[in-house]
Amino acid sequence: MAQHGGPQQRIFSPLRTALHRFAFILLIFTAFGLMLLGKADTVLIERIRAASADLVSPVMNVVSRPAASINELTDKIYNLAHLYEENERLRRENQQLLAWQQAARNLSHENVRLRELAHYTNPPALHLVTARVIADMGGAYAHSVMISAGSRDGVAKGQAVISDEGLVGRVAEAGYQASRVLLITDINSRVPVIVENSRDRAFLSGDNTNRPLLTFLTADAAVAPGDRILTSGHGGAFPPGIPIGVVSSVSENAVRVAPLFRRHQLEYLRVADYGLQGILSEKRIRDSQAPVNTNATQLSPEIPAGVGVVPAAPAEPAPSAQKPPAGELP
Amino acid sequence: MKPGVWQRLDVIARGLFPAFSVFVLLLINLLPISVPLLSTASPALALMAVFYWSVNRPDLLTAVAAFLLGLLQDLLMGLPLGVSPLVLLLVQTGSASQGRFFHNKPFSVMWWGFALVAIPALLIQWLLSSALIGALLPIKATMISYVLTAVLFPIVAWVLARAQNSLLRYV
Repeated sequence: MAQHGGPQQRIFSPLRTALHRFAFILLIFTAFGLMLLGKADTVLIERIRAASADLVSPVMNVVSRPAASINELTDKIYNLAHLYEENERLRRENQQLLAWQQAARNLSHENVRLRELAHYTNPPALHLVTARVIADMGGAYAHSVMISAGSRDGVAKGQAVISDEGLVGRVAEAGYQASRVLLITDINSRVPVIVENSRDRAFLSGDNTNRPLLTFLTADAAVAPGDRILTSGHGGAFPPGIPIGVVSSVSENAVRVAPLFRRHQLEYLRVADYGLQGILSEKRIRDSQAPVNTNATQLSPEIPAGVGVVPAAPAEPAPSAQKPPAGELP
Repeated sequence: MKPGVWQRLDVIARGLFPAFSVFVLLLINLLPISVPLLSTASPALALMAVFYWSVNRPDLLTAVAAFLLGLLQDLLMGLPLGVSPLVLLLVQTGSASQGRFFHNKPFSVMWWGFALVAIPALLIQWLLSSALIGALLPIKATMISYVLTAVLFPIVAWVLARAQNSLLRYV
């Protein structure tokens, strides 16, 4: 663009540098402003993030297919090279699994009978949405993947995301046709879990490494390498009993868990809607902010419901303890 | 002779190519690739392209463009908002002002320059992300990411140079 002459340039050139400098400073401040906004207003940012995921998802949906087929090819070559060992291993595993199948059949019959006897209320029915991984936000700062399902398919924020192996993470933002899944290894991820054998409760806290930490374990908890970790279902965020990982190392100050899924091989994931609203639903958060004593338990109004305080029970049998007439108390 | 409408549109489209190339590299960064190493630490492809264009064509990849591309990166990757815009903005401004130093020098000089620029860039990203998340992120992943970024720079720079020669010679 050789349109600028001599005198024009002499006037506009300093003006332009000043403008540039001003724009630079303005942009720096905007960046810090965005950092504050990101910390303060999470709902707005969430919507924008979901919208940006929707924006690129059509492209990623197409582009990730060739990448997946290349991955398939390398997998095939690898499998061909290890065919014999794999076959031997599968034979052994099959024998073990057949034995387990018999055990499972017996147990499931027994379970059905016992449930009938105990009038067990079944947990809510499971609704699964299968989605393809279209993007992997790999990196040193965040552990998340993008899947090709959104609110259009019934995916909502906070739902559990599972692979064939076990729990992968939860939906962080759900757009219309794509959602972002926060993996359990991410530093922002906390999942209530139990140790399968000892039934000790804990939290699985990600720290952006491949081995998340087991935190808030009680001091007398018995955890050893090889123990399986399952979701506990506390808080209603996840349904109980989804396998997550295996304890990989136990040291003085840290218990680390190896997740069951392999992140670089995630291809198809299932988003599980168990009908639980979870702790992340906006309605629950709003409700929890203003606790109203609705007196649903029919107890005296001073005692907060569900705190574990047992009211001074009259010396009556259990059924009548629910609603003691005020006049008859000793 | 006045340029026609199509000619002007063509020039504008070519002028947008640097920003578009950064966007494409962002999407490539997002591709799910089944290599175990890449899922824990990926090369900062957008950073490479922003450096390349700021050195070679600072007029076509402006500070505002770098800022917006950084914002998009944060939104897409689920990173703490505002960090990447700041880092890419600083890299763009810093490299654009030093761009003349790299002209008519062998490629290895530019490579060294990028390897030097990428250290503070990734360190700032790591520090600010840690501060915003409220916990120290593992530095090991950042270091792997740095090595990958520095090693893979020639490949990206070669592709961008080819594109620059064929598309932007007269823009």
